[in-house]
Amino acid sequence: MKVLVTGANGFLGRHVVSALLARGIEVRALVRPAASVDDLGWPTSLDLFRADLRSSRDLEQAFDGVDVLVHLAAAVTGGAGEDAQFAATVVGTEHLLGAMARTACTRVVLASSFSVYDWSSIRGVLDEASPLEPIPDLYARDGYAIAKSWQERVVRRLACEHGWDLTVLRPGFIWGRDHAYLAALGIQISTFHLVIGPLSRMPMTYVENCADVFALAAIDPRARGQTLNVVDSEGERIWSFLGEYLRGTGQRGVRIPIAYRFAHLVVRLAFSTVFRRNLRLPQILIPCRFEARLKPLRYSNRRAHEILGWQPQLDFRECVRRTFANDTATRCDPHARVQARVSNQSLLSRPSSVP
Amino acid sequence: MRSALIGAGQIARQHLTCLQGLPGVEVVALCDLSPSVAECAAERHRVRSWFTDHRVMLRQIRPDVVHITTPPTSHFHLALDALQAGAHVIVEKPATTTLEELNMLARCARELGRALIEDYNYLFNHASREISRRIDAGEFGAVVHVEAMLCLDILGPDGFADANVPHPVLSLEGGAIADFLPHLASLAHLFVGPHRRARAFWAKRKPSILPYDEFRGIVEAERGTACLAFSASAQPDAFWLRVYGERMQATANLFENRVTFNRLRPYPKPLVALLNGLEEGKSIRRAAVSTLMGKFTGGPGTYEGLFELLARSYRALGTGSELPVTIEHILAVNRLVDALKRDEETTVSGKGGARGPGHLEGSAA
Repeated sequence: MKVLVTGANGFLGRHVVSALLARGIEVRALVRPAASVDDLGWPTSLDLFRADLRSSRDLEQAFDGVDVLVHLAAAVTGGAGEDAQFAATVVGTEHLLGAMARTACTRVVLASSFSVYDWSSIRGVLDEASPLEPIPDLYARDGYAIAKSWQERVVRRLACEHGWDLTVLRPGFIWGRDHAYLAALGIQISTFHLVIGPLSRMPMTYVENCADVFALAAIDPRARGQTLNVVDSEGERIWSFLGEYLRGTGQRGVRIPIAYRFAHLVVRLAFSTVFRRNLRLPQILIPCRFEARLKPLRYSNRRAHEILGWQPQLDFRECVRRTFANDTATRCDPHARVQARVSNQSLLSRPSSVP
Repeated sequence: MRSALIGAGQIARQHLTCLQGLPGVEVVALCDLSPSVAECAAERHRVRSWFTDHRVMLRQIRPDVVHITTPPTSHFHLALDALQAGAHVIVEKPATTTLEELNMLARCARELGRALIEDYNYLFNHASREISRRIDAGEFGAVVHVEAMLCLDILGPDGFADANVPHPVLSLEGGAIADFLPHLASLAHLFVGPHRRARAFWAKRKPSILPYDEFRGIVEAERGTACLAFSASAQPDAFWLRVYGERMQATANLFENRVTFNRLRPYPKPLVALLNGLEEGKSIRRAAVSTLMGKFTGGPGTYEGLFELLARSYRALGTGSELPVTIEHILAVNRLVDALKRDEETTVSGKGGARGPGHLEGSAA
């Protein structure tokens, strides 16, 4: 079996490549032409394919001999604006799948996101049956949510049109080394951290655990046709995770708790009065974006467990240790990290799956 | 009037937002090469039809006005097709990649009796309009000189300097800076008229895939002189406009609402400095608050000039009155742009000479 991984040198992508290699799967890693892969620790034999999905040239060749596409490439940040984010995520997907339609590959695993859900209407537990953000409310959300919703829409349409086997995986906040300050942690002003809803839980998945699900979904036929949320547990509380973050990074910080209901009320009132429903405000001041970051919900990995038998292999304490440990050898070599993880399995405490 | 857009990217969103607020204007279709981009823009702005082939759109929809908001290298052919389909054309700057193409478009528009409007939005910002109003009222006396300096960091890896996919504007003479020359040239034209002579200095200050990241131009025009500049290194981002008259001087940052005036006063010199300083301070404080409030309460922001230009254009098209930007105006501005791009005078800089962008071997600092 050969798997084509797009966005292969990204934060999640490099771990997905390692997870597939650790399972003995042949991988073709698609990275941008100017991307540096020297410090990723990939074996020299790894099949590297350089292309930019925004340009539709040569993409068909990327599918030569490929059985499964794991499509991770997306613009996570909106550095060049919402439209550039849309182009990198959605137009890139159009080009990639347009090329795939001319090849023999018929299996897709897509990295979608929790951002596609309608956070405003969901109460209690957010799971795979929760409603997606409807039109036109989607266009009040941020560029990432718009792009990921459209990416999923485009992939589902093409999969239906061409009869492809599709698996959609929706991870929560993917975290790990150098990616531990999550958007839900609140607002940082100098050394002060305004923690909105300190006891709320965040949908989190440690990057290696998340990569495992993608590797599993690529090779396990039970994943076909499924949509699965990817979280490690019912979620860590914002207050305690921020504490871990401050301790782990050695930063001095003062956490100031603000009740979610109070902050939510203030944001809603201000948005509809003073700010006149302006959508160019900072994210935290727009109610639907505020909710998508901070709403106190519960999360479950029950379906991924039922369908794929998946449980996060690293528990929270180990994930924290790996994220903040000053271990240069592990830091520089994610492939070695996978090997180390496999050998350390017996040392780990009970996985934190949610029944 | 029934309008359509070709190109549904970022600047198109500003056009669409503006058009939806104009009385008597309906956006009936939009077109983009990417079906997702076209469909998304149509869904978001409640436009009833979208296309991926502009010729099909022009044939089926027969719009009165077509906005061309694609990358500049495609403007010429799209504008020509739209004019030949009987539509007025509003095209983003730069209207074409060469003066020859612009002459052809202008000729076509005149022959067909259609309007051709290039987006010179900074002429219609509050600051530019206020300066123009005071000039017309005689407060400045004759305008002697104008300076326009655009400080914009275009070296980031996600924009013009993306090393993965070359940005279309990099194929323009002068690279990414050429995308902004119509703004600078249109301001020079507004305040000192058509140019007679122009000299330019192009340089590359930092390593990137851009051919140039610094530009300075000096212009002798019919009514005065102008210094035009672009810097990718000078920060923070700002668009400074200074207009020097015989009795008054104005300073504005066109990215904000800031505009201040210094004037001759019939008082002793120390008092003139004091009064000008106090007035300037008051204007800056008021502009700072107004800029912040504008960000909180919405509105067009830095695109206010585009909104004003489009409103005036549609009003003129509806009533048959004079357009805010005429074909003669566009030709004069682009003759200056062309002169600035083609200046072949070697200029000695600190680390070596630079030549016009027609000679892309220019200096690398």
